Amino acid sequence: MVLGIAILAMGAVRIPFEKGLVDDLRTADLLPPELDVKTTDRIGQTFFAVSLGGMRTLVATIWNLRAFTFFSDQKWADVAECYDLIVDLAPRTQYYWDTGSWHQAYNEASYYLYDSKLPSLRRKQAWKDAILNGRQFVERGIRNNPDDPVLLERLGYLLADSNKIAAFGDIGKSYEESYEAYMSAVALGNARALTTRFALYSLARVPGREKEALAMARKVRSEQNTNSVTLLSVLYTLSYHDDPTRPVDELIDSIFPSREAAYDALSGLWLRTRDRYPVHGVAQAITLLESDLKVPESDSVLKKKLPPGMSPEDYF
Amino acid sequence: MNPLSNILSHASRIGVIARHAFTQLVRMKVFYFLAFFAAILIASNFFNLPQHFSPESEGVRILRNIKSWSLGAMTFFALVLSVVSTALLLPKDVEDRTLYTILAKPVPRLDYLAGKLLGVLLLVFVSLALMDLLMTGALYLRTNMVLAEQVSLAESRGWLAQDIALLKSEILSHGSTPSLQGAVFAVFLRAAIIASMALLISTFSSSTLFTTNITFLVYFIGHFQADALGVFLNSDPGMSDGIWARGASLLVALVLPNFDNFNVIDAVIEGQVMPLAILLKLTLVALFYFVFYVIASWFVFAKKEF
Repeated sequence: MVLGIAILAMGAVRIPFEKGLVDDLRTADLLPPELDVKTTDRIGQTFFAVSLGGMRTLVATIWNLRAFTFFSDQKWADVAECYDLIVDLAPRTQYYWDTGSWHQAYNEASYYLYDSKLPSLRRKQAWKDAILNGRQFVERGIRNNPDDPVLLERLGYLLADSNKIAAFGDIGKSYEESYEAYMSAVALGNARALTTRFALYSLARVPGREKEALAMARKVRSEQNTNSVTLLSVLYTLSYHDDPTRPVDELIDSIFPSREAAYDALSGLWLRTRDRYPVHGVAQAITLLESDLKVPESDSVLKKKLPPGMSPEDYF
Repeated sequence: MNPLSNILSHASRIGVIARHAFTQLVRMKVFYFLAFFAAILIASNFFNLPQHFSPESEGVRILRNIKSWSLGAMTFFALVLSVVSTALLLPKDVEDRTLYTILAKPVPRLDYLAGKLLGVLLLVFVSLALMDLLMTGALYLRTNMVLAEQVSLAESRGWLAQDIALLKSEILSHGSTPSLQGAVFAVFLRAAIIASMALLISTFSSSTLFTTNITFLVYFIGHFQADALGVFLNSDPGMSDGIWARGASLLVALVLPNFDNFNVIDAVIEGQVMPLAILLKLTLVALFYFVFYVIASWFVFAKKEF
């Protein structure tokens, strides 16, 4: 009896201190946020996660191996379920959010692209759903890890991926959202310098924002001091768009280190139709450069057959 | 006898009993588990288990694997050692009749209990220190290897200096950091609470099996103490059908220790930083539980007749 009372009194003494400690731990991101008691269906799952204290990341590692088996067997629903559990166990591990999203948006989507057993309409829907699920998964990862630039970069990459973009509906809007995701990563202050360049490449493809993209391209070039082929090509095409009256040869010489480099870069941009980069003034530049570099007319890049842009209609 | 020499006399007795308990447990060949730990460490380090990774994520993935396998194994071994060793203490001394010999001498029962428990804690501490040494060594070597590989890969790809600096800092944050050592200490603190709770249960239990089972049960339920408290604090007192739920959740919150706070280990494995102030608060909480359970055990044990 006395012992029982002592235990209850000890509980009453320690609870306020422990409650403060829990708040401190949550502020320091050392404990997950409080469980919503109304969602009782989640308690079953969380019981598993919470009671494994200290071994949760270990169990997540083992489930990650299990997910690989499901992936090998192409059991996509099981892969998704596995990653739902894994991120419950290790919500701060960026790798699991990244891999879970990648399995859905890339592997599962590609599977439906080529699965001949399903009717084309169902394949198309499954392909689109897989990509959207992959997007939702990485967005959930971002909400759980708001200070992680890598997941924002992954979202930016997915939204601008030439093989996935058709699943998002409005292509211009998707490039815009991709730009915003990259810039959110940059705003965190711990993203790679490369992320700003990726943001620029997405912005350059948003119709109507060419001026803004040009200003950004100039800034990136001066700050990063790089001769990246895509950066120079985008800078050229945006500059041409800004002032089409400027002589093409003068523009080329002001941007590229040499005419050979300009020809390689702009030829590449011309052929990258899937990536949907703007090509303002590119044909004019190639014509001038081919004449300048004495490229035989039969070998002209402009005469090459352009690869088709990725359209779901070609596959389904 | 003045108070200081009285304290020293108690401390000396407790020290002798603790040393004896430690030796007794070591003779049970408990350190053989270190061979398993070493095997786990080697497996996490070198076995290329089938999972997905990109060249960039590979390095950090290996470091995270080493940490999660090692700290997972430490948690498991510390839990089992603290529960089973403590549950064995009293029944074994009764069985060997050592208990009667000790209690026949002028040894206060509190000194006996505290000594026995400290012996167990010494065993857990030494075990964790050895495992930590192995983990830190493996992690140190592997971090340097990963750093060299990843930096060379980044340089070959023409990464900017600031991006390489970010990469280095990310890799180093997954190596052996002060937070990781803090997490190992948190494993010890949790084991200390569990051991002292097992001691309390063993003072009125009838068998080792009963003590072990009940302690493990309390350990698992203890992870929900914070949730139980949340149910009590957040539910509407006016709801008549919630009275029992509120009462039960309050009882759980008052009686059981909150083990969820020690789950900071998982966040540290994932790369979070544990501030020293948090570790100190965890230590205070653990000390509070430890002292309370030892005194409560003494309270029960003092009235026991042998």
